Parts: sequence; structure tokens; C-alpha cells
Amino acid sequence: MIMRKNIFIVIVFFVFVSLFGCTKGHIDPNLDGGKIVFKFAHYIDGQPLVTDTMKYINAAGNLYSVSEVKYFISDIVLHSLDGTDQFIYKWKDIQYVDEALPATNTWNVFDKIQPGDYDSISFTFGITKAKNLSFMYVNPPEVNMAWPDLLGGGYHYLMINGFWKNTTNQRTPFNFHMGIGQIYIGLNNTGAITGFVQNYFPVSLKNSSFSIHKGETKEIQIIMNIDSWFKTPHVYDHNYWGGAIMQNQTAMQMAKENGFDVFTIGGIH
Amino acid sequence: MKRLALTCIIFCFGLVFTTNGSAQNIQDTLQLKEVVIFGKSPIYNINPIILKSEIELSPVRDIGDYLRSIPNVSGLRKGGTGIDPVVRGFRFSQVNVILDGGIKIEGGCPSRMDPVTSHIEPEEIERIEIFKGPFNLRYGPALGGTINLITTKPKPYSKFELHASALYGFESNWNGQREHLTLFGGNKSIYFNLSGGFKNYGSYSDGNDLKVKSSFSKYNYSGNIGFAINKNQSLMLSVIESHGRDVSYPTLPMDELSDDTRILSANYKAINISEKITSLTVSAYRSQVKHIMDNSQRPNYATMQALSAVDAVNFGGSSEMVFRLNPTALLNVGADYENITKDGTKTMTMIMTMGGVKSTSTKRSNLWLDSKIENVGFFAELKKSFNLFQLTASLRGDYNQATSGDTLQIVKYNTDYFTNKRTQYLNLSGSLGLNASITKKLSVNLSFGRAVRSPNMLERYIKFLVVGYDNYDYLGNPSLKPEKNLQTDLTFTYEEKQFGKVYLNGFYSFVNDYISGLRVPTAVAKPSTSGALGVKQFSNIDLAVFRGIELGYSNMLFDKLLTSVTASYTDAYFPYTTKYLITNGQVVDEAELKNDPLPEIPPFESTLSLAYRMFHDKLIPKMSLRVVASQHNTSDAYYEPSTPGFSVLNFSLNYKPVRYVNFAAGVNNLFNKAYYEHLNRKIVGSTLNLFEPGRSFFFNLIVTI
Repeated sequence: MIMRKNIFIVIVFFVFVSLFGCTKGHIDPNLDGGKIVFKFAHYIDGQPLVTDTMKYINAAGNLYSVSEVKYFISDIVLHSLDGTDQFIYKWKDIQYVDEALPATNTWNVFDKIQPGDYDSISFTFGITKAKNLSFMYVNPPEVNMAWPDLLGGGYHYLMINGFWKNTTNQRTPFNFHMGIGQIYIGLNNTGAITGFVQNYFPVSLKNSSFSIHKGETKEIQIIMNIDSWFKTPHVYDHNYWGGAIMQNQTAMQMAKENGFDVFTIGGIH
Repeated sequence: MKRLALTCIIFCFGLVFTTNGSAQNIQDTLQLKEVVIFGKSPIYNINPIILKSEIELSPVRDIGDYLRSIPNVSGLRKGGTGIDPVVRGFRFSQVNVILDGGIKIEGGCPSRMDPVTSHIEPEEIERIEIFKGPFNLRYGPALGGTINLITTKPKPYSKFELHASALYGFESNWNGQREHLTLFGGNKSIYFNLSGGFKNYGSYSDGNDLKVKSSFSKYNYSGNIGFAINKNQSLMLSVIESHGRDVSYPTLPMDELSDDTRILSANYKAINISEKITSLTVSAYRSQVKHIMDNSQRPNYATMQALSAVDAVNFGGSSEMVFRLNPTALLNVGADYENITKDGTKTMTMIMTMGGVKSTSTKRSNLWLDSKIENVGFFAELKKSFNLFQLTASLRGDYNQATSGDTLQIVKYNTDYFTNKRTQYLNLSGSLGLNASITKKLSVNLSFGRAVRSPNMLERYIKFLVVGYDNYDYLGNPSLKPEKNLQTDLTFTYEEKQFGKVYLNGFYSFVNDYISGLRVPTAVAKPSTSGALGVKQFSNIDLAVFRGIELGYSNMLFDKLLTSVTASYTDAYFPYTTKYLITNGQVVDEAELKNDPLPEIPPFESTLSLAYRMFHDKLIPKMSLRVVASQHNTSDAYYEPSTPGFSVLNFSLNYKPVRYVNFAAGVNNLFNKAYYEHLNRKIVGSTLNLFEPGRSFFFNLIVTI
């Protein structure tokens, strides 16, 4: 009798223990769509930017150098030939780009791209009002783009920091910053603020058509031509606007209007 | 000799497991073989009971820390104190931690700086009961286990007596000291105790002699008064207060400025009411925790200041009646009620300097707003003996509802991530256990249980805070479904006077709708805590599987040498889960994983303890060797790193020269080993590990008159 009981116990325990053990494994990711990678580059006068070198001359004739280039683009849309648009939003809809941080100059897009033909790419330069909320970034590097609540809040759209030689040939710092603009009650941006101006603007990239197939990855280079911020349609003169424009809506409006052709496609392959 | 051999075999079996895959460990282990080893008191059962006498002689700062010495009970360390217990890989609300059989405490800190165990000082504890598995349903729905902390209560005396007990403890590594004083006494009608204590610990040094910012101060006091209404009825009124100050948590984005806890309770008990009704217990309680934390000791305070304040109240009560149906059957029937309310705010101030001009922006947001959870439970437990069998059957029903005053709504791209709504659940739990005495020496216990727990306050309503799981901000989910655990345990126990006692347990558990954090796209939500890596939202995962083995053996060698060996192993995995692929810190794709381990599952470990009784138990030297395996069975989906194994040797000496005085001294981590537990959190904002304390000498002096 005891022998039977012992056999029973051994069997029960063996069954119990045998339930242990399983195989770890991966299931292949969904390969139904394609993938895209955006690469961001920064040029002046058709050549890659060389920072901290006083060798560039803008349309106004200012000799200048660039130390830092930081900006946000958001809400990228791929426009397909059949009239349907694919919005890039599944993981991230705002990209921070910092010339000095290589990791930010590449955006491996999470979204799976519907195979097909696309005739253009568009995006918002900066961040739309609905999304540009104070405290939405609390970690570097994005947090360093914070725009004071007093001046409209949210985050800078753009920071280009550098130096130019002023009329007395002195090396003078400039902070070419864009964000939410202010309307002041007094002249020359003085007195109380009576309203704010959203300075983000849409960008449509020329020559940005491409085709993508199932399982294919496309690398799309987007170039910011920094010199274009200072020409067409307006010639921007550092000697006239001075070193800082955060509280000068007229200057930021000029930058905004100059921004339409700042971005170009460097290549799609 | 056979017993000595068996002890060695079991421990060596543990070592083989433990050192598997770690060349470093094999070397360590071989070196330690030459050391004479003594140990802690043995753990005799799968569901152990720890007595005050064991706790007060240990250099214990925190109950959660002490519980880590129990087989298959581990802890999540975030700083010097407030270690969060983990039972067989189940954690947080999966483990039902209660006080005095029914008092619930809602921790104030959203980052779990203050788990329930942190609100009661070890000096207040009379005993700790641990029930593993979902089988004990008397104290509430217990998914993975129940920890019942029973505080010291006064007892009546035949005539008036007054006594006092004082404790002083010191630990060298922390330069830490604790003091505790208790007055107790009374007569046969009224009896009482009054106690108070103070702890002040500095930062400890790890085995590399590096300081770990882990200092804290605590003070507490309590009072109990009992009334013997007649020989069968009594009433106990209690108040407990504990206060924490300046508690450092290097793994969290903030430190605790203050934590103030007050627990009020009343307990009525009647016994021998009739031939059939053996007892009636009615109790009520109210616990309140006020918790304030900030980042004023952190480097980023100059640019980003954060302060959180939380007020949590839990009140409720229970009643239980025990019926003796016949000489072999007992039936417990009862009901309980719990009401939790929680409010909390977070204030953030961003300090910017633009062109030499400083400007500040301040944002105040709710962590919880008028959040409320109510739970009404009914339970019945039958214990019945049939010849060689003992049957235990439990049933429990819980009605759980939750509401919140939140106005937050996150609906992005046609997906509803967070919308406040009232939820109601009816949860049914049950268990069935059969213990069979196969022979006089061998018994087998087979248990089945299903327990269901509703989501807690944090899982339902927290908004954007690092909550102590990892370095992500967490977002609650009002739509969460309850977690359900279906588990079976099989335990063999063999006991014989000459041989000693050995138990072997295996458990297997299926958890449906397992609640865990899943990453939320940055397009939907971005972290609002400085240093947080992203946002995760509490979500239900279809299935998680837990399984494990526990082994214990204890005996008395040569009538003087008490030995025990324990070993435990838990394995847990998700049959299917999603991994987000990361390149350059960006989530670039996702992949489905099969049988991926759950994160934060403790590795295999084994402890050998020896104690030698000398001079009629007046002097007892003890040594224990704890060997922990490396943990390579880590979660791919959570990018969980593996951890190396380690072994730690502790030594202590208990001396009781007279019955009024008890003295303990010793050294923990004798060889100053630099090690960290697999469950220790990472230093915030980094991948650096939080190391355990290095060598620490201690002594405790207890005087009772």
C-alpha cells in the first residue's frame, strides 16, 4: 500500500516538475510595410556647415559664423500619388534636431510605411500651438529649448547661435531664435504683452517623391540651408536686427517668411 | 553523520545551481568552503512565522529588509530603507500586506518610497506571518501571498504590574543607531503598552567602500489599551504613529522630505459564545499617510524643481465569526470593508536664464484628484479533518468600485489612453487544499487557488510620475481589468526526530490580465519627471506564468548544532509580449517575443545557517552563508540587464547573561563583498547599480524588567 502511495507521489511530482521548461523565441516583426530613415544635415552656401568658423557672408554682407543649430520639426506627412496621405505619428510626431548631437540627426521612423509611390513630403517647422506645451519636455536636450511662459511658453522652434562682425568689425554674438512671438502695447517691443503670434509654418519639400516596397528601407536626407534664413524674400541684416530676436515679432516674422525654402532634399535612396 | 551528509548535499545542490553560468561565483564559493559556517534560526515551513525574538536581535532597520531573509521572499531596494517585499516574484499589490490581521495602509508615495512595511517599525512587531500563494483569502484577495504584520499588544495580569523594555542598536557602516522604549502593564481588567523609538542612519558604504546616499531618520510612538469586559470579551484600542524625515532614495528622482503616518484601530473579541460559535471578532481602523518629497538634493534642482505632496486615507473594518460545526470541522465566516481616498499634487518649476535674465515657469498638476476605491468582501473558510486528510476550502467575493475627480483625458489619433470613468468589479476567489499524512513521517499537501485582485490606486489613476518600477513616468489606466491568478502548490514534508525536517515545494501559476507597464508613444505622452526615460501606462497583459521550487531542511546535529538549508527558485515569463526596438535612444520598431522572462524575478538562491547552543542557551554563536546565483534569465522586452551572483557571510553572537538582558553582536557581509541584488533599482538617470552595504558591525542590547 505504502509502495503504491510512494509511486503515486513520484508520478505527481514528476508531472509537476515536467511542466517546467519552455523555449524562448522571437516572432518576426511585421514586414508588411516599408521603413524610412530621415537624415538631417546643415549646409551653408551649398556646403556642409563648419561650426565656429568666421567665413560665411550672408545676403546682407554680414561676415558670420555659426556655433549651434537646434530646431524642431513636426507632423511629417508623406503625400501619395493616389491622394492618400500617410502621417508619421505612431511613435513620435516631433523631432528635435541638434547639429552637435549626431543621435538627433537621424530619425529612424517607427511607423510602417504603406508600400507605394509618394510624390512629396511635408512637415511643420516648429511645433503647432496645440502641441507646443510648456513642460512637455523635462529632459535634456529638448528641455534646453524651453521658451519662457512670459513670452508665450512652449519651446523654441529654432536656435541658431553664432557671431557676426558688426559695423565696427567687432565679433558680436547673435541668437537667431524663433518661437511664439509677442505683441507689445508700446513701441519697439516695450510695455505689456497684449497677444501672442504662432510662428510655426508649413514646409513642403521639393523633389521629395519616392517609391517604397514591402520590407524596403528608404533613407531620406533633409538639408537645412542655413544661409536661406537670411535671404529670399527678405534680406536679413544682423546689423539692423541685432543679436536677439526672441522679443521681436517683426524679425521673427521675417525669419518665418524666409523659411519656406530653407529645407531641401539631399537625396533619397 | 547521515544528517550532516544530507545538509551538505542539499547545500551543494544549491551551489551548483547558484554558480551555474558564473565563473566568478565558482571561485568565490570554493574560497568560502573553508570557512566554518553558522546560521540564523531555521525556516521550518513553507509559510513561515517570524517571532519578535528573532527580529529584535537582528540589525534590522526596516521590515522589508528583514523579510529578504525568508526563502523566496525578496525585496526591491530603492535606498537605505523602505524595501518593498516580493514573494515568489509577486510584488506590490500582488502581495497583500496587512497589519494585525486586517488593517490596511495606503502608501502615500507614488514612487513606493513607503511600502506598507515601512509604516511599521520592526520594534513594534510581535510576529510576522507569511502565506505564500493565493490560498489564504481571509485577509483579502491575495494574488501572490499575504504578509500579516502583528504588532505587540498588551496582555492582562492577575494583579497590577508595570514593566519596561528598552532596546539600543548600533550599526557601524551606517553610523546608525536606533532606540526603542516600551512601558507595559496593567491588571486583569485594563492593560496597556506605550512605546516610542528613534532611528538615525547615515549613508552606508558598499563593498567598494563607496558611499551610497541612503541616510534617513525616523521616529515613532504607539499606544494600546485593552479592556477585559468579562472573561470572554475584550476590547483593544490602538494608535500607531510613525514619521520619516529626510530619507534619501538615490534610485528615484526625488527624496522623501517627510512621511507622517497615523493608524487608529479598535478591536472587539468574544470567545466561547456558544457551543457552536467559538469566537467573534469585530474591528475597525483608520490609517492616514501624508507624504512630501522633492528633488532639492539633486543636481538638476537649479533648473528644474519638483515637489510632490500626497494625502492617503484608508479606513475600514472587518468581522469574523468562527463556528465549530463538529469536532473535526471549523468554519470561519466574515466580511470586510475598505475605503481608500487619495489626493496628491506635483509642482514643477522650470528656471531659465535667457540673455542673462532669469525667468521661471511653474506648473501644478494632480497626481491623484479625489480618487477613491471601495472594496466590500465576504469570505468563508472551512477546515475539516478526515482520518489522514485535512481539507481547507475557502471562498471569497469582492465588490470593488473606483472613482476619481480627474479631468485629464488623453485621446490621440482615435485611441483613448486615459479617460476617467467609474469602474465596478465583482471578483470571485477560491481555494482548496488537501493535506494527506501518507505515513507518520511523510505528508503531502496539494492546493489549488484562484485569486482575483482589482487594480490599485496607482495602477488606475497615477499621472506621470516615476513610481518606483523603473526610470519611466507612469500613467494610470482607469479601464484596467482585475488580475487573476490560478495557482497550484504541491508540498512534500518529511519529519523524523533523528533525521530532522525537510520540505520540498513546487508551484505553478497562471496570471491572466497581468498588470504591467507598457510603453506609450512619445506622440501621445512625454515624461514630466526630470530624468525619466519615457512614459509607460499600466496595461493588462493576457498571460504571465510563474513557477518555482522551494526546499528547506533543518535538523539538530550533535544535539547542540542547529542547522538549516533553504533553497528557492522562481521562473516567470510572458508567453507572448512585445519588444520595442531601440536605436540611438529612439524606438524604431517592435517585435513579438515568445516566452520572454518577466522582469525583476529573483534568481536562485540558497542559504546555509548554523547555530550552536552553549551554556544552556545563554550563548549562541550563529553564522549564515547566503549564496545567490547570477540572473541571466532576464526580460528582453524590458531590456533588463543580467546580474552577477554573489555570496555573503554573516556572523553573530547572542548572549543572554540573565533573563533581563539580551545582547547580540556580529558582523554582516564579513568579507566586505561588493554586490547588488537583482531586484535593486538603478541609480536614477544612469545604468549604475545600487550596491548593498559592505561590511557592517552591529550590536543590539535589550533590557526588559
